Amino acid sequence: VAALLAATVLIASMISVEIGLSVALIELVAGVVVANSFDLDVPSWLAFLGTFAGMVLTFQAGAEVDVPQFRREWKASVSIGLVSFFAPFAVVGLVAYYGLGWDRREAEIAGLALSTTSLAVVYAVLVETGLNRELVGKRLMSATFVTDIATVAGLTVLFVKPTIWIVPFVVVSVALIVALPKGSPWFFRRYGNRVIEPEIKLVFAVLFVLMWLGDRAHSQAVLPAFVLGLVMSGHYLAHRTEQERLRVVAFAFLTPFFFLKGGMSVSAGALWANLGVLAILFAAKMLPKFGGVYPLARRYTAPHATFTTLLMSTGLTFGTITSLYGLNAGIIDRTQFSLLIAVVVLSAIVPTAIAQRYFDPRDVHVAADRHAVPAVSTASAPEGAGR
Amino acid sequence: MPFRKILVAIDGSEASDHAFAKAVELAALTHAKLTALAVEGPLPAYAATVGEVEEVKREKDAFFRGLAAAARARAEEAGVEIAVDVQPGHPAELITRVAHEGDYDLIVLGHRGHFVRDRLLGSTADRVAEHASCPVMIVR
Repeated sequence: VAALLAATVLIASMISVEIGLSVALIELVAGVVVANSFDLDVPSWLAFLGTFAGMVLTFQAGAEVDVPQFRREWKASVSIGLVSFFAPFAVVGLVAYYGLGWDRREAEIAGLALSTTSLAVVYAVLVETGLNRELVGKRLMSATFVTDIATVAGLTVLFVKPTIWIVPFVVVSVALIVALPKGSPWFFRRYGNRVIEPEIKLVFAVLFVLMWLGDRAHSQAVLPAFVLGLVMSGHYLAHRTEQERLRVVAFAFLTPFFFLKGGMSVSAGALWANLGVLAILFAAKMLPKFGGVYPLARRYTAPHATFTTLLMSTGLTFGTITSLYGLNAGIIDRTQFSLLIAVVVLSAIVPTAIAQRYFDPRDVHVAADRHAVPAVSTASAPEGAGR
Repeated sequence: MPFRKILVAIDGSEASDHAFAKAVELAALTHAKLTALAVEGPLPAYAATVGEVEEVKREKDAFFRGLAAAARARAEEAGVEIAVDVQPGHPAELITRVAHEGDYDLIVLGHRGHFVRDRLLGSTADRVAEHASCPVMIVR
């Protein structure tokens, strides 16, 4: 099984380079294909590796936040970000509970998984359109961060069943969040820049401790992992090489197994049998995102309100993390997991494609010029002259 | 003078190398102004981490810096003055637009690019040939 999965990961990377799609999305789909074709279950080593990779992804997501930018734009970002979280969380939760007959905890997982916004999807589109250098793009990135932190906070708070271990879990989490940014410059200076990578081992050790304590406390370590990444973001900004090394390790060995595991847990048959439910859940994510975010976007990100709203409707990593948590914790079953993952993947693709095809901000800036220039269909033209 | 301004699309592929060589040759013969346009293709669509996007962007920037430097060196060697323009965007659309806006009277490009995606939906060369407002030379 390991050899088959390693080959799958390799082929997924090659396909990603050849067709220009994110490797994570291909790994997810590859997981679905491999597991359903060979009737494979997720082996225990993959389950463990995938869970840890989810923590590393969460830490990285925190470390990638531009904190100074967020401080400058927090008013607009908080309002858009919170509405972007709460509107779909409430609507999806209610639809799942009353409409689909899911129980309260299942509905909460559904609400959380489908309330997310994908920072990475948003970032890629903003960089491509050049909007990342403008106020609109900066507000959008900060708002995405707010939605993400609301999701991880929700995941930690809603599903906690506190034991006495909650005390050391909270104390150690806070201690690490305070101490790591202060102690890491010394640690990295003394032990860093070596091929044996003590810096990465430090991060991994900290994440393992949080996972263990979170498990003992019957809680989730995603919130402290995210906040830990957040408080380390300044350090990584000043030491890009360290961040790059962490990414290399994560991309080469950890995140592929996270997405592969996610895909392997999807039942293609269950999806096929529940296409109507899939459509309902997709609408339950998209409509409140639109209803909630669009009025605020008109105020804060004009003239790109529709573009902003579509990007705030995307989701991928945190939606997958939340759904996998629900499955691993026995809160949702495989059919519910399959539906949530399918909606998450659709929400990464559909709003992004619509935003890029019909609401590209560059069209707003160059609309006048466009009339004079021969149009080339972006739907059918290739990327041949570009790398 | 048959050509005053020549636009050559470059992407580092073997086909684009041939196209570039032909464009330099033509520019030397006709004393035309030569511009090499390198189109930075799209970032990974639907990425899961900001890191993936940043790393690809960094790789692209480094790749295109090298490509631009190599194009300048090759043109200089042939005694041809060249301007190199690196822009992000959709290749066929950008090449067509730059040629139109810059009033170029010839576009030179290779018959295919680097990746499978270049062949999945028809080639950039086909698209440019169909939509360009000036003559197009497709080099094999």
